[in-house]
Amino acid sequence: MTDIDSWLRSNTFHHSQFWDLKRLVEEKEKQGLILSLCIPTLNEEKTIGKELVLFKSELVDRYPLLDEIAVIDSGSTDRTLEVAAAFGADVYRSTDILPDMGSRRGKGENLWKAIYQLRGDIIVYVDADIKNIHPRFAYGLIAPLIYRPEIKYVKAFYDRPLATSKGTRPLGGGRVTEILVRPLFSLFFPELTALVQPLSGEYAVRRELLERLPFPIGYGVETSHLIDTYSEWGLEAIAQTDLDSRVHRNQPTRDLGKMAFGILHAFFTRLHKHDILSSLPELTSMLRQFQTRDNEYQQVLFEIREEERRPMIEVPAYREKRGIVD
Amino acid sequence: MQSNPGLHKFVSRLPSALEGHREIILANLVMIGEIPAPTFHEQARIDFLQQRFTESGLHNVGSDEVGNAAAVLPGTEGHRNILVSAHADTPFSAATEHTLSLYPERVIGPGIADNSLGLSMIATLPMLLEFLDIRLRSNLILMGASRSLGRGDLAGLRFFLANSSVPITAGLSIEGVQLGRLDYASQASVDAEITCRTGGGEGGQSSAVLVLNHVIQRLCELVRTQDLVLGSIEGGTAFKTPARSAALRIELQQDSNEKLSALITDIDAIVEDVAAHSGAQVRFEVIARSNAGGLDPQHPLVEQARSILTSLGVEPIQGCYSTAASCFNDQGIPGLVIGVTKGHHLNQPDEEIEIEPVFRGIAQLIGVLMAIDGGCCD
Repeated sequence: MTDIDSWLRSNTFHHSQFWDLKRLVEEKEKQGLILSLCIPTLNEEKTIGKELVLFKSELVDRYPLLDEIAVIDSGSTDRTLEVAAAFGADVYRSTDILPDMGSRRGKGENLWKAIYQLRGDIIVYVDADIKNIHPRFAYGLIAPLIYRPEIKYVKAFYDRPLATSKGTRPLGGGRVTEILVRPLFSLFFPELTALVQPLSGEYAVRRELLERLPFPIGYGVETSHLIDTYSEWGLEAIAQTDLDSRVHRNQPTRDLGKMAFGILHAFFTRLHKHDILSSLPELTSMLRQFQTRDNEYQQVLFEIREEERRPMIEVPAYREKRGIVD
Repeated sequence: MQSNPGLHKFVSRLPSALEGHREIILANLVMIGEIPAPTFHEQARIDFLQQRFTESGLHNVGSDEVGNAAAVLPGTEGHRNILVSAHADTPFSAATEHTLSLYPERVIGPGIADNSLGLSMIATLPMLLEFLDIRLRSNLILMGASRSLGRGDLAGLRFFLANSSVPITAGLSIEGVQLGRLDYASQASVDAEITCRTGGGEGGQSSAVLVLNHVIQRLCELVRTQDLVLGSIEGGTAFKTPARSAALRIELQQDSNEKLSALITDIDAIVEDVAAHSGAQVRFEVIARSNAGGLDPQHPLVEQARSILTSLGVEPIQGCYSTAASCFNDQGIPGLVIGVTKGHHLNQPDEEIEIEPVFRGIAQLIGVLMAIDGGCCD
């Protein structure tokens, strides 16, 4: 197993490390890379315009990092497509891409079809519902891939480690991450618990990896990506970048339930694929959570012993007391 | 570019050229607009502006002791110094959700018109001049002004003008709205607060709201409607408890400093009288004050600005007063306040600006700069 603390030091970044966009563009050009930004949408008229203007202004016009900005839409009924086209994005309807392959409903479908439609050697996916959008949401994820050839998949997480210089703060994801995904990872893929927010919708990936990944079309896409990338290429191929805060709309509990269901589906599919279900290993008692201390990311191990007592009726003393005979 | 027909022809072509740079313009607007900047807490916006100044290769990038950010785009000759400023603060608290929404035709969000758009012009102007290959002979001083609104009392702009290390030939103050305004003078005006404290119904004392009501009635009898703005009022805590405290914020205007001073004396007397009759503590405090004065309507700067607006198909708005104009006038500097676009719901959370007129607003700004650069204020 990779030393998680070592990985946290070497493969966890903060976007501010990549502030020098001029240098980043020079390095990209030296490597001859083509970079694509993909924004999957479904009724995002309120936020899509702002995202496109910022990315185009800062990462196309001012610093030519992105070669392509595409919106792939799942069938919006509001002005999403009109707004996106007005602000210069390449706009695609998901149903129009690979039409012979049929159409599925779900964000993963858009992400998958983007691999076919877009030109990039690296594709960075950014959700369309980010209220506090900033160019860092793209360059913070792209930069580790440009500077570190061995990294193939960079995931976003959101915190403010520079806001406090001393002390310890808990670090983590949303409700579904903390009550479902992290416990599952702790049990079956402990190293993946090092991903602070495994469900974040922003990540940058090399084409050579993307084209080899199966894509659940629904809520399980992020979880399955991590498991599959980890299983095939190891934790060294994965990195994560702190993008500071992310403001987005809150999801109602009912929707979180749907998300959890989709994640569980993808998760158990992978347990089956890796033959973990039929030869279930001994379950660990260590839950892995995370914190920051003095601007460093650390794992925190909690031992949670979930021992089981046998049914009381099997306890001799109980049987004797209750006068139960065979 | 010194002859008016040539300038007007050039300026009339600018809006279409500027539309090609829409993303740069809107991106700076969004990034600035989403940084909260209540008066006295503009530092984050000022930092962003300085970063933009540095990226644009401006000279003398820095901030002063009152929190202004300023930088210089050197002119080819540098015989004149033209100041373009915009206030960085907004009337919204840092706790207000500052997320903006951007549509093809408009931008919505708190402070977008007053004055995120104006400040974004300061950040964007160097790049636009470069794109348009416009090189001024004069030095262009770009300044984001701190502490303007309310208790700020235009402190940032006043400080800069009073302490500038170079003589300023002319000054422009940029406001987000409304396109067509040409404020070249200032009435004598004060922003003031009248506060009231009572026993809240105990000991036979009235509600503070009722006491303020007496003050308002007396003010309305004393001051002409057009010279008094009853801006905001607040007080009390519950339905059934008489208010212990209340505050009224007003603006007063007069056409001379002497008349305004006399009016303030009269209001002091009203406040004392109401306090004596009600038994409440009533206090009148001047928060901000501007002197009367400014340019003549026939001043070449005003006439040039008016004709530039007309050449862009914009009807100049009637009315010429702005407190910022008094800052320039106090220092003997020809100064104008101009607007960039049309806006709605000013100072409301759903404040809105129209995008299409922005290009004419910027063309106007560049046209006026070129007129000053051509010597209209010499």
